[in-house]
Amino acid sequence: MPKQTTRFIIIQLVLLLFILISSYLHLTNGEFDMKIMDLIRVLVGIGENEMHELVIFDFRMPRIVLAIITGAGLGIAGVVLQGITKNELADPGILGINAGAGVGVISFMYFFQVMFSSLSLNGWVSIMLLPIFGFVGGIITAIFILFFATKNQQMDMQRLILTGIALNSGLGALSMYISLKLSPEDYEMAAIWTTGSIYNANWIYIWSSLPWLLILGFVIYRKAPILDYFQLQEDQMISIGIQTEKEKRLLLYSSVGLISACVSVSGSIGFIGLMAPHIARQLIGIKHRYVIPVSALIGATLVVLSDFIAKTIFSPSELPVGIVISIIGIPYFLYLLIRNKEG
Amino acid sequence: MRKKNTWMPVFILASSPFFIVIVMVSSVIIGTKDITIEEIYQAIFHFNESNVDHQIIWTSRIPRFVAALLVGAFLAVAGAIMQGITRNYLASPSIMGVNDGSAFLVTLAIIFLPNISNASLIIISMIGSAIGAGLVFGFGSIIRDGLSPVRLAIIGTIIGTFLGSVATSIAMHFQVSQTITLWYNSKIHLVDPTLLLLSAPIGIIGIILAYSLAKGITISSLGEEVAIGLGQKTLLMKIASMLTVVILTGVSVALVGRIGFVGLIIPHITRFLVGVDYRYIIPCAAIIGGCFLALCDVISRLINFPYETPIGVVTAIIGVPFFLYLIWSKGSVKSA
Repeated sequence: MPKQTTRFIIIQLVLLLFILISSYLHLTNGEFDMKIMDLIRVLVGIGENEMHELVIFDFRMPRIVLAIITGAGLGIAGVVLQGITKNELADPGILGINAGAGVGVISFMYFFQVMFSSLSLNGWVSIMLLPIFGFVGGIITAIFILFFATKNQQMDMQRLILTGIALNSGLGALSMYISLKLSPEDYEMAAIWTTGSIYNANWIYIWSSLPWLLILGFVIYRKAPILDYFQLQEDQMISIGIQTEKEKRLLLYSSVGLISACVSVSGSIGFIGLMAPHIARQLIGIKHRYVIPVSALIGATLVVLSDFIAKTIFSPSELPVGIVISIIGIPYFLYLLIRNKEG
Repeated sequence: MRKKNTWMPVFILASSPFFIVIVMVSSVIIGTKDITIEEIYQAIFHFNESNVDHQIIWTSRIPRFVAALLVGAFLAVAGAIMQGITRNYLASPSIMGVNDGSAFLVTLAIIFLPNISNASLIIISMIGSAIGAGLVFGFGSIIRDGLSPVRLAIIGTIIGTFLGSVATSIAMHFQVSQTITLWYNSKIHLVDPTLLLLSAPIGIIGIILAYSLAKGITISSLGEEVAIGLGQKTLLMKIASMLTVVILTGVSVALVGRIGFVGLIIPHITRFLVGVDYRYIIPCAAIIGGCFLALCDVISRLINFPYETPIGVVTAIIGVPFFLYLIWSKGSVKSA
């Protein structure tokens, strides 16, 4: 077996172990603590303790699964964005795509919630539709950013990030404006959601976002060799016979789809898409066939762990996980900027 | 670069009372409670304590208008100084983390010193401005190209987000997040008249200070070498102007919270109108900024009538397209 493959497998296993440990901590700690035996009993289904079952299956489990989905989705999307923009500082949050998806989701809550509440399946139908609205908002933002960042057919990195910052604050203001018009219950939901929080996770959210992760994750994984080529110059790529514009668009749309699915269920969580690919590249090198899955697992680990910190550090009150991640992520971002000085 | 244009500043300064009165009248009559012009006249010249309308005019509408006018002026002047001295077209209190530094320290003060006096609140807010600016420029100078317009803006935004996140988490821990949200989204509708009376003179001192630095800022805006060649003590100039920015921003945040984009847009508009001489730019920016923010305040009451929209939403909706335009038109130019 080649050395890198062995290394890849070991890293994957270690990361899975990390996720298991954080999930275990997450499952057993909280408003009331559980012992490992209680946990096993509930999971295997022996010993009827409705209280424990409720806590595990209705509250803690969905939250962990959602954290894993969100972290993995953002980790993969970050790899793609950094790859196609050739900019290692690209992140869905910094670029404003999160905020764009956010506006889509909030407009959905505002314009269409009433329409669906008359249907009997309203909860399901509307939650399943959320990622689609997020997708529309995210795509429009992405197109806008690309339009502003490209001058003379060259993408300017500084402009890219700056446009992202501008769109972030503008779209944030727009979200706030729309959310103020929502009914009090919806507003509560929107407010929790915009700060990036997964504490109202439930199984419906998981079913609405999981297919996006699986399908788009697979599409992106299949394109891993193309992403490797993106490290070349544009004209070199064309000379090898790659239709850069077409591939770029496909990859961009897929990653925006992933981001939107994550944002629609867990709000705007920044910096995962920045950190995970970096750590992954440091661990496994630059081959995207390895970077993509490793980055996904690192993203998942980071979100599960941050969510655990978010719920325990100031217990009994809870922090939105997005805040914990930005407190960890921003020093990392600054570190990357400083390290660039030598490079 | 535009030629000096002497009639424009004179026109702006001379017509300013007229515009201020128009904005004031609309600011006082528009709101959830309709007030007629007749009523304003009565309230000013024949104040009647038992009349509810008169009470509203004096305790709510007028302080609010004055606060918007002053804060607009303070932030616009602070932005103009920053843009001139750093020769950075994106410099402004909100983008460079100065606002966020203030808001951060004010948050801590509200949590840990709940009985703090107004005067100390203003001082704490100024210290916060200095910390925010210090952090952003400190990181800017250790990062490659960190002081270039775009990089500095990125660093400023990131540090601002960080300070905001830390403040939010502390606030949530002490369960005062609602108060803090108000600070972060500007609380112009809840202006405290006693705080206003205290901050107005401090801020006006800041504007006078800014005006006295105007000639030096004009020289600095020509470039470091030119300034040194003309015999300017550049370090002293930088320190004096940062101090002025800190005073102006600190007072603004203490008074109404964090308001973005005014300090970015108004200096550009002013320079477009009156040219590059800061002796004209500073007073004109003060007037245009004041009227602009007071007008935004009126708009914020109208767009979702009868509910109020945070004024930061209004300034962002006007400011973001402008910001994009600046990137679009000047993106590759290194200085303004």
